[in-house]
Amino acid sequence: MGGTRILREFRFRLNGEEVSVKAPPAYTLLEALRYVMHLTGTKDGCSTGDCGACTVLLDGRAVHSCLTLIAQVEGREVITVEGVGENIPAAYAEEGAVQCGYCTPGLVTASAALLKQNPKPTVDEIKEALRGNLCRCTGYVKIIKAVQRASGDV
Amino acid sequence: MLALGDVEVYSPRTVGEALEILRRRAGSLRVIAGGTDLVVQLKTGAARWRELLNIYGLDELRYIKYVDGEVKIGALTDFTTIHESPIVKSTAPVLAQAAFEIGSYQIMNKASIGGNIVNASPAADSLPALYVLEAVLKLETLDGFRTVPVKEFYKGYKMLDMRSDELLTEVSYRALGDGWVGEFFKHGLRRGDAIAVVNGAVLLKWNSVDGVVEDARVALGAVAPTVVRAVECEKMLRGSRLDEKTIRECSEAVLTSISPIDDVRGSAAYRREMCVNYVYMTLWSLARRLGM
Repeated sequence: MGGTRILREFRFRLNGEEVSVKAPPAYTLLEALRYVMHLTGTKDGCSTGDCGACTVLLDGRAVHSCLTLIAQVEGREVITVEGVGENIPAAYAEEGAVQCGYCTPGLVTASAALLKQNPKPTVDEIKEALRGNLCRCTGYVKIIKAVQRASGDV
Repeated sequence: MLALGDVEVYSPRTVGEALEILRRRAGSLRVIAGGTDLVVQLKTGAARWRELLNIYGLDELRYIKYVDGEVKIGALTDFTTIHESPIVKSTAPVLAQAAFEIGSYQIMNKASIGGNIVNASPAADSLPALYVLEAVLKLETLDGFRTVPVKEFYKGYKMLDMRSDELLTEVSYRALGDGWVGEFFKHGLRRGDAIAVVNGAVLLKWNSVDGVVEDARVALGAVAPTVVRAVECEKMLRGSRLDEKTIRECSEAVLTSISPIDDVRGSAAYRREMCVNYVYMTLWSLARRLGM
């Protein structure tokens, strides 16, 4: 697609800080994070909302940053894998729940959304909450253990 | 995948402002709500809008309220909120169930009921539930509003009774009274997050004194250009006792109401078979819940 590039300024809270970013308004949040703000923890998997690799928290809830326009986060709060704290990533590392690692940032943020709402989830609740996140190394058993560990339930 | 660097996005702060932009730019822009399907369509080139009206910031369209026997849901209300709503759970469990089956939490958290309706996919998961609830849609313009029953809103495949300066702002339905039981069903190719191969909703009003079905509503998705009510099946269910023979005959009767196509998710023949099977299983499940 050719045409003139439109640039706008957007303000929102990102990982606890007020930020402003200049980007085309129909850029996805994922593109703004990675290519404008150079915050590359969030991954681009399928670009169509099927794999969950790009999951971030928008006002505390898991959403696909690949399907969210930067214009849609104006005035809202975004938390990426860089802002979820140490507990969950450490639990993933300790359980060896990371193989190639590409799905991990999305799983970590989806886990953070779950544990914030439900600090002691059952295995079924973990599976349900992470059902939108694909791991093509298929290391799901350790991923579930990692969430249990992060919840203090090992 | 296309980058959307040259698409203009208007982000109004009020519904009034949104309606003004809609009137001014009628026909040349597309409303974006949650965007979970529209953004995919834009990236793949299936939709080629150069201007978007982003209503995602209009929190005034996020509500669920109960007023005089009627449930009113703001068009931007997301499916997690609908799934968890005590009002929806008590007045229309079939809708709460459909809201959960829409997709992953990432989709449920962002996708809105209004977006699901206007996006008009025949496989949309909220639609069979809204069809059996006989929901009514509120369409607003700068001059006022009108209401349309959901069934009359769809004129054909992705063809809507909606003008380009109208905005869908509310969905409402009458709370179900005593005696109604319902269930939503969906067959997808992946449990966690999939577009339906077939889906549907069944509502039965049970007369426990006579032990018969007093009223029946059956809506089927992904098997015709729009969601359809299985009129013949409903007729046969009314007055029946929900025994094995009735359930089998009624589920086979859905074939008279559907006209599925072959596509990437399944063949027409497969859809016909799955549609019958799912209605059969759903009727059995409801019969069991009714103590049959």
